Amino acid sequence: MKKFEGLNYYEILKIPANSSYFEIKRAYKDALSLYDEDSLVTYALLSKAERNEILNEIENAYWTLIDEKKRTAYDMMLVDSGQMEAATTSREKLNKSVPISSTPVILNENQLYSRVREKMATEEIKKLSDEILSGERLSGNDLKKLREAAGINIQELNYITKISGSVLNAIEEDRLEALPPDLYLRNFLKSYAQILQIDPQKVVDRYFKTILLAQKKDTSDPH
Amino acid sequence: MTEIYPIGGGKGGVGKSFITVSLGALIAKWGKKVVVIDLDLGASNLHTLLGMKSPETGINSFLNKTVKDLQRTAVPTIIPNLFLISSSHCSMEIANLFYAHKLKIIDAIKKLPFDYILLDLGPGTNFNTLDFFLTSEQGILICTPEPTSIENSFRFIKTVYFRKLKQIAKKSAFNSIFKSTSLDLNKPETMPHDIIEIVLKHDPDKEAHFRDQLGEFRFKLIFNQFRKNIDATLGNQFQNVCNRHFYSSFEFLGNVSYDSRIHDAVFSKTLFIHKYPHTQSCADLKKIVEKITNNKHQRVSQKKYYEKI
Repeated sequence: MKKFEGLNYYEILKIPANSSYFEIKRAYKDALSLYDEDSLVTYALLSKAERNEILNEIENAYWTLIDEKKRTAYDMMLVDSGQMEAATTSREKLNKSVPISSTPVILNENQLYSRVREKMATEEIKKLSDEILSGERLSGNDLKKLREAAGINIQELNYITKISGSVLNAIEEDRLEALPPDLYLRNFLKSYAQILQIDPQKVVDRYFKTILLAQKKDTSDPH
Repeated sequence: MTEIYPIGGGKGGVGKSFITVSLGALIAKWGKKVVVIDLDLGASNLHTLLGMKSPETGINSFLNKTVKDLQRTAVPTIIPNLFLISSSHCSMEIANLFYAHKLKIIDAIKKLPFDYILLDLGPGTNFNTLDFFLTSEQGILICTPEPTSIENSFRFIKTVYFRKLKQIAKKSAFNSIFKSTSLDLNKPETMPHDIIEIVLKHDPDKEAHFRDQLGEFRFKLIFNQFRKNIDATLGNQFQNVCNRHFYSSFEFLGNVSYDSRIHDAVFSKTLFIHKYPHTQSCADLKKIVEKITNNKHQRVSQKKYYEKI
């Protein structure tokens, strides 16, 4: 059995040395699913120790290559030791075009949940969430307050719920015209509430009441 | 140049015999002279899949010396250019082949004057199966896309590997090293990898030689009974993982689609590719045959190229 002996981090992830963040991220996800203990291809091939060793190497490779500083140092080491040519590491152009939303915050869902659970258990937050849910209606701003208090940023929310940033913003800012159709909105609100670990049904009911009220105002007000 | 393809796979019922017969028939249609040899000793039934009665001559006549030349035990089939060497008339105890007999058969197979020789092996990883699988520098591994079968395939690869390693070791006088390290082969964690490591520690000079020898063996993979709901890239993933973690080379030849009519054909004792030539499974088999025959041309031309240099 060969493991990853003698392979550099790029070879482990099977990507060229000038890979962009996107490519590194994708390669990392592919590698994780291939060497997962439930993977049909590898589950019978590797012993537990071998699998852990391999997964460990994949983690090392990923966390080095997505960190600009660490990656530069690693590349220099490869160039110095003659494993790579300096020209192949130049990737300035590629990196400039990477938009903010792709910042490499890969989140472990479980980690996020446990983080929120801890927060939600604190007196302060409990009070806040009870307060918000006690009313007959709730607004996007209430959700935002709770989200921020729980220490979740919008990118994390977007990453886990897969709801686009613009929709999340529209929900939090109560911008009726930018909200998706009711059916979608209902499900988006549910996922949002699940992340905050508050009763999804209550959130949906109260949020829709707010919308209805706002729509009535709209129609009664000629402006 | 003769191409020998042993066809094996850890598990029974994955379709080794079916694939052997189908590939044999399709290669024969390309005008090549092909022989399929039934080496599932003690459980042979290639003749049935070919729609024939059990032939009188076969490996039995070769072993009991009524026929001196193995070639003369090959009987023609309904397909022109395709011949069969059966083992259906072998003795009841043939499954426990004498070592000398085994060597005799392997030796004779290597000398057969055919373009393609396909060996249909039995299931499992007993020494006979392994040694027949190592008759050539290449072998086809049949597997179904199910966890049990994939599990068995890895086991098969690992044991073939281990057997191969022992062969090399003997030839290159590594034997003493094996003995001196007193490896506990009964321990499940003793893998070829460990053995290589141990040998390397003893004799780093031989490291390259050892790896080269192992690297010369070429595994070919076929996924049989492939159903539509399964990830079609499974074979390629399997190939890549094996190439990464074993020293030998692995090539995925293709998937053969599942078709219940294959069972019908077996029941009616007719050749599937004759009865249902316009099925997906048949198209899949044809693609695999193209790869196999191209392989030969490529390697031959490569060899010529190197000889020129």
